[in-house]
Order: sequence, then C-alpha cells, then structure tokens
Amino acid sequence: MIIAEITGSLPATVGCFAAAIGVGLIGAKAVESVGRNPDASGKILVQSILGMALAEAVAFYAIFLAK
Amino acid sequence: MRSLSLIGLFSPAFVFASSEGVKPAATDLFDIAGVPISNSILTTWIIAALIIIGVRLAVGTPKLIPGKGQAVVEGMAQGLRDALEPIVGKQMIGKTFPLLCGFFVFILLMNWSGLLPGVGTIKFHTAAGWQDAIRPANSDLNTTFALSVLSFVAWTYFVLRYAGFKVLVFDLFGNKADKKEVGMLMWVLLVPIFFAVGGIEVVSIAFRLISLSFRLFGNVFGGENLIHALGGIAPYVAPALAGLLEVLVGVIQAFVFTLLSAVYIGLICNHEGGHDDEHAH
Repeated sequence: MIIAEITGSLPATVGCFAAAIGVGLIGAKAVESVGRNPDASGKILVQSILGMALAEAVAFYAIFLAK
Repeated sequence: MRSLSLIGLFSPAFVFASSEGVKPAATDLFDIAGVPISNSILTTWIIAALIIIGVRLAVGTPKLIPGKGQAVVEGMAQGLRDALEPIVGKQMIGKTFPLLCGFFVFILLMNWSGLLPGVGTIKFHTAAGWQDAIRPANSDLNTTFALSVLSFVAWTYFVLRYAGFKVLVFDLFGNKADKKEVGMLMWVLLVPIFFAVGGIEVVSIAFRLISLSFRLFGNVFGGENLIHALGGIAPYVAPALAGLLEVLVGVIQAFVFTLLSAVYIGLICNHEGGHDDEHAH
C-alpha cells in the first residue's frame, strides 16, 4: 500500500541516511571514550571531528554527484 | 535598470525569502575589464580587507612585550598552533602554520559573514528579477573550490619539498611489509597488492579536491538555505536559533578544513615524528 508519493533523489536519500548513521556512531563512541578517559578529550575531539568529516563527505558525494 | 534596494538592511531575512530558496549560483554584479565580478567575490574581498586592516590595527608593529591587541591575536594563533602541532609534526609546523592559520581565519570569517544582517537580504532589481547584492562567500562553489585547489597545491609543494618525491612514491606504491617477517615469497606476492592500493590512494587523493570543496560549500549553502526556509515558516524567532547553529557549524567547518589540510600534509611528512614517539614509549 502506498501511503504517500515518494519524490526526490533516492541515491541522495540513501547517502545522507548512511552518512548520518556514521556521524552518529562516531559521536556516540567519542562521548563514550571521553567518559572513560576525560583527560584525552582534546585528542578525541580532533580524531572524532576528522572521522565525522570523512563520513559526512559521503553525503555530499551522494547529493551532488548522484544524478 | 539596476536599482539598489536597502529595504533588506532594515528588515529580517524573511522579506525576500521566497519558496525557491537561495540560488545555487552567484550573481554577477559588474565587469572589470571584461571579467565578471560576482557578489560572492565582493564579499571575499571585503573580508580579506577587514582581516588585514583589523590585524594591522590590533597588532601594529609586533613588540617583544605584547600590547593588548597583540596579546589577543598571539593567544588565538598559539591555541590553533597547539592543536595542529601533533598532526603535522614538530619539524613541519613552523613551515605550514602561516598557511593553515590563514585558512582557518579566512574560512571562519567567510562562514560567519552569511549571518550578518543584510548579507543575502539586500537585493537589487534586474530584468531577471531580484538579485542578491551580497552573498556569503563560502556559499559559492567557486570560492570553496579555489580554497581546496590552494590546499592541494600547498600539499604538493610541502610534500615534494620536505619529504621528497621518493618518499611520496614509496608511501603510495611501495611495499611496506617487513621482508624478515613475511618471508621472501610472500613479500614478492605483496608487491602488486601494494601497487594496486597505491592506485586507489591516488584516486582518493584526487577526490580530496572534490570532498574538501563540496563539504564546505554544502554546509554553508545548506545553512543559508535553512535560515531562509525557517524565515519563511516562522519569521521571528526560529531564524535566529538556526543562526546560532550556523555559528557553531561555521567554526567546525573552518576547523575541519584546516585540520584535513594539516592531516594530508602530516600523513606523508610526519613519518620521523611518529617513529620517535614509538621509541619514546
């Protein structure tokens, strides 16, 4: 049963969905590791921002390159 | 003809926020010797001039005992340097820091420029309809692509100058396995695998140009769209909340661009530092 019509770009949807999950996982693990070792928060911040940036790049590939 | 409208200066963003959202491409304002000057280039120039004048006024002639302005600028630069030093390495930080600090300050101010009143809301009228007079610089793909090309050229320069062509080629294609550990036969078998990995690595390096520029463009353009769209839905308080979010996004994206440029340089140039660390432990 179709409840509503689905419009827009399916590749972009899947890409953004996956990128969001990836960013969320990295953020969750970063918070967890800061909880375990609060002194390392500076290093963890840099590493997690890097990881998030790389995961997020997938979303932009999906939005701009997938047609 | 083009008549400048200053209504946008005194009214919230929603006045001209129509359902079509922010235009993806920048608008040409005027020509200088046949070269079209777009509204985002104008913003870039204004911000560059403001940075130069602002820092000159704050610091003046640098003194050994810093004045108030110099202490502020030095403190901020030192904070950024401390964050970047472990990534590019002790030998490289002195050489790369001017570029990286420039990236950070310039991108940060360009991201925040989209939040100023009037940017994206002051319009002028042409035959094609209302056009933005000022556009946030980083919401133009040309600006961010130029920045990532700059980062890429600087990466090539630093790697070739301070690590050398040989180190670069070995790092990409070379066999990093230990002959004594894996045995001679296995080592020879690993050569084509490492070579193929090098091919993938080259592609991913080339894609840095796209990922760096699209990441910055996507975040700033998306944020600009979000503010305009929220202005259309709930004109008074909601755009300001989105603006607060955009302040945060601006810092993070400026830091990410700087950090990734530093990481790319550090990946090739920071080998000695990494080994020293291992011996120290």
